[in-house]
Amino acid sequence: MATPKGGNFGKVLEIDLSKQTFKTRPVSDEILQQYIGGRGLGAYYAVTEYKAGKNALDEDAFVFVGPGPLSGTTKKPVWLSIVNDKVEFKDASKMWGKTTDETHEMMVKEMKDPEIRTAVIGPAGENGVPYSCIIVERYRAAARSGTGMVFGDKKLKGFAVRGTKYAVPVADNAKFLAAAKVNKDNNVRREAWEGIKRWGTGGLMELKHYLHGSLIVKNYQTTWFPDVVKIGGEEAARTFWKRHASCTNCPTHCLKLGVIRSGKYAGMVAEGPEYESGGLLGSNLGMTKFDEMIALIEACDAYGLDNISTGGVLAFTTEAVEKGALKPTDLDGLKPKWNDGDTYMEMIRKIAYQEGKAGKLMAKGVRKMSKEIGKGSEAYANHTKGKELAAHDPRGDKIRAYSYTMGTCGGDHHEGQGPQALGMTAMADSLCICSFTNFLVYGAGTDKIITDMLNPLCGWNWKPEDYWTTAKRIFTAERVFNVREGISSKDDRLPIRMYKEKLPAGPRKDVIFTDADQKDMETKTYGFFGWDAKGIPTEATLKAYGLDYLIADVNAAKKKYNL
Amino acid sequence: MEEKKLPDVLKKETSRRDFLRGTATAAGSALAITAIGGIAPKKAEAQYSVQGVPGTPPYAQKYRFAERHNCTGCRSCEFACSLFHTGNVRPALSRIYITKYKDMVDVPVMCWHCDDAPCIAACPTTPKAIQKDAKTNGIVLNEKICLGAKCMKCQEACPAKYIRGNPDTGQPLICDLCGGDPQCVKACQEQSGNPQGPCLMGRPVGIGVNMAYRSVTPEEAGKDLANLLFYPNVEGKRVVPAKSKTKKGR
Ligand code: SF4
Ligand code: SF4
Ligand code: SF4
Ligand code: SF4
Repeated sequence: MATPKGGNFGKVLEIDLSKQTFKTRPVSDEILQQYIGGRGLGAYYAVTEYKAGKNALDEDAFVFVGPGPLSGTTKKPVWLSIVNDKVEFKDASKMWGKTTDETHEMMVKEMKDPEIRTAVIGPAGENGVPYSCIIVERYRAAARSGTGMVFGDKKLKGFAVRGTKYAVPVADNAKFLAAAKVNKDNNVRREAWEGIKRWGTGGLMELKHYLHGSLIVKNYQTTWFPDVVKIGGEEAARTFWKRHASCTNCPTHCLKLGVIRSGKYAGMVAEGPEYESGGLLGSNLGMTKFDEMIALIEACDAYGLDNISTGGVLAFTTEAVEKGALKPTDLDGLKPKWNDGDTYMEMIRKIAYQEGKAGKLMAKGVRKMSKEIGKGSEAYANHTKGKELAAHDPRGDKIRAYSYTMGTCGGDHHEGQGPQALGMTAMADSLCICSFTNFLVYGAGTDKIITDMLNPLCGWNWKPEDYWTTAKRIFTAERVFNVREGISSKDDRLPIRMYKEKLPAGPRKDVIFTDADQKDMETKTYGFFGWDAKGIPTEATLKAYGLDYLIADVNAAKKKYNL
Repeated sequence: MEEKKLPDVLKKETSRRDFLRGTATAAGSALAITAIGGIAPKKAEAQYSVQGVPGTPPYAQKYRFAERHNCTGCRSCEFACSLFHTGNVRPALSRIYITKYKDMVDVPVMCWHCDDAPCIAACPTTPKAIQKDAKTNGIVLNEKICLGAKCMKCQEACPAKYIRGNPDTGQPLICDLCGGDPQCVKACQEQSGNPQGPCLMGRPVGIGVNMAYRSVTPEEAGKDLANLLFYPNVEGKRVVPAKSKTKKGR
C-alpha cells in the first residue's frame, strides 16, 4: 500500500459521534488513483462499506464530508470544532433550534476566530425534513440529497474548521505550477467564466426565458413568463445586488449579495437570485415581486431547506389546490395561490418545523405527497427518482434531461448535460474543483488540462485516457449503488408532464420530450458507460474499470429485482 | 472651503509628516506627489504615467492600495503571497489576509508601507530586526535577530492592526512587497472579472494617502463597507424569519 506522493495527505478523518472519538484512516495511493477523492471516494466507501438496503438514518450510517466520514449518533446535540489536528466535541444544546446564520455566528464567537469556516444545519434538518440541507458560510448550501436530515438525526448541529499548519504536498512543484498556469490562462477572461462572474447564474433567468424556452413557470406548466423582468438578473443588478462575493479560496465570485432597501423586508441582506433559487422560488411560483421572492430564498437558507425541492413542493401544492386535489382544510386553512408571497413564507416555515397537518404533508416531498393525495396529481408531480426537478424545463432544454434522469441522485440539474459531461462532473466533484469553471470553460481540452496538473501534483503517470476511465469508474460505482436498490432504465425517466403536455407558449412552443428523445438519451448514456439496455453495468464493464468486487452485488440485484 | 485653506498649508513650514496629515484628502493628494521624497513634479509625472502596469520596470511598485469595496474575498492574494514566499500554497503564511465583517463584506488586511513605519520604530533590537528596503520600500525581516512571539512590539505599534504571527516561528509576517513586484496585486488583477475591477493595485508613489489608510483598522473598514453597501442594514443583522409557533426543535 503506497502512500501518496502529493496532492493528498493520504488519510481521512473518521469521527464516531456515539463514542465521541476520532481517528485517521489511511488511504492508499492506489485507491486515490482510482477514486481521486471527494465524490469518488464517497462512492467507493458507499459501495464497499454498505450492503444493499442501507438506511441513511441507521446509527452506524456515515456522512461523508469532502474527504472524511462521520458516523454514529449522539444523544445530546453536539457540534465539532476541527482545528489543524484537533477535533473537539462541543455542546450544541444552546444552538439547537437556531437558524443557520445564528448558529454560524455562535460558532465564530465561541472560537474567537473570524477565519473559521462552518457547515451547519437549521431547524429543518433538526426536524427531519428529508430535503433539508447543510449551509456553508451562511449563504451556500450543500443540498439536494437530504444530508441536513442525516445531521439532524445524528444530533450533529454542524462543524467549524480552521487549518493553519499544513500546505498540501506537491510531488513536483515546478511542473505543477507550469501546468497550473496553463489551466489559469485557459480560465481567466474566458467569456463563460466572466459571465458567471458578472451575473452569477441569476442572469440565466432572462436567457432561459427569452432564448432557450426552458425557464420553469408555475410548476412547469409553461416556460413563458414575461414578468421575469421583475425578478431576474437585470432587476437584481439594478436594484438589489451590491457585492460580488466568492466562497473562500474560489476566484469565481458567483455569489451576489444585496440588500432590500424599502418595504416590509427593508434591511434584508440576502444572496441571490441564482438561476435555481430564482427559478424555483420565483417564476415557478409566479412571483412578480422581487423582495418577496428574495425573502423566500433567504428563509430557506436560514431554516436550512433545499431551495429547489422547497420551490417544487410549493408549486406542486399550489397546482394541487388549483386543480382541487388539495383543499385548504388539508393545509391548516392555507390557500396558496401563484404570486402569494406571504402564504408561501408561512408554508416554508411550516415545512421547516413540520408544523401542523400542512407542514407534515409538505415535508414529505412531491413524490410522497402525490402518492398520498392521488386524484390524478401524479400528472403534475414533477420529480425524477423522487427528487424534485431543478429550474430547467427539459422540453426547452433537452440536453438537461441527461442530468435529471441519468445523474446518480435524480432530479439534479448539475450532473452533466450529455454522456461525457456526466463523467466530467463526476471527475470535477471528485477532484473537488468547480464544475462551472472546469468543463464549461475548458470544454474538449479538459482531460489534458486536468491530467497535466494531476501528474506533477500527485506523482502519477496518467494519460488523458485515464481521466476518462476514472470518470467512468466513479460514475459506474455510483450506478451500482443505485442498481443494488433496484434502480434501472425504468426509473431513468422525466416527470409525466414532460412526455404528455406540449409547451403552450414561448420560444419552444409545442415542443414535447418524445419517446425518441428518451431512447436516444438512454442509448448514448448506457453505451458511453458500458451499461446494458436496462442501464445495468455489464460484467465486462465492471472488470474493465477494476470494479470486479461489485459483480456479485449486481447479479444479486438483477435477480432480486428482475432487471 | 478646503481649497482656500490649501495655500496656507503649503506656505507653512511643516515637517513632512504634518504636511502629509494635512493633505491626506483627494484634493490635496495631487499636490502631495511633489512633496514625497523631494521628487520634482516632472519626474513624478513620468512615474505616474506607468501606473496600472504593475511591476513594469524600471519602476518598483513601492505602495499598494485597495479599492476595498471591490474585494470579493476570493483569497487569490493569499495564495500568491504564500506561494511566492514559501514555495507552497499555505494562506496562514501569507503577508496579506482577508477577514470577514459580519459575514457581509471581506476586508483585505495589508501593510500600507507607512512612510514613518511605526512598526520599525517600535522594534527593540539593535540593529532593527525589521527594516525598510530603500529600493523597494518593502519591509524586510531579519529572522536571526527577531525576538518573535515574546516581543511583537511591531504588532502593537501597527496602527492598521495588520501584523500577525507566523504560526511556525512566532515571528511577525510582514510585507516585503515581493522586491518591487507585488504578487498579490497580480493575482487580484487576474481574478477580477467584468464588471468589477481589481481590489489591489500597486503604485510607484504613495501620494500620502497610504498614511491615512493605515489609521483604519480592519473592523472599521468592515463597518464602512457594510454602511456603503448594505445600508440600512449597517449592523449586518439578518432579518430572521419567524420561528416555530408550537415547538422548539424536536
Ligand atoms: S501598516 Fe503597519 S506594518 Fe505596515 S508599515 Fe505601517 S505600521 Fe508597519
Ligand atoms: S517581533 Fe521581531 S520584528 Fe517585531 S518588534 Fe519584536 S524583534 Fe522587532
Ligand atoms: S506585496 Fe508581496 S509580500 Fe506583500 S502581501 Fe503582496 S504578495 Fe505578500
Ligand atoms: S485577490 Fe483581491 S479580491 Fe481576492 S481576496 Fe485578495 S484583495 Fe480581495
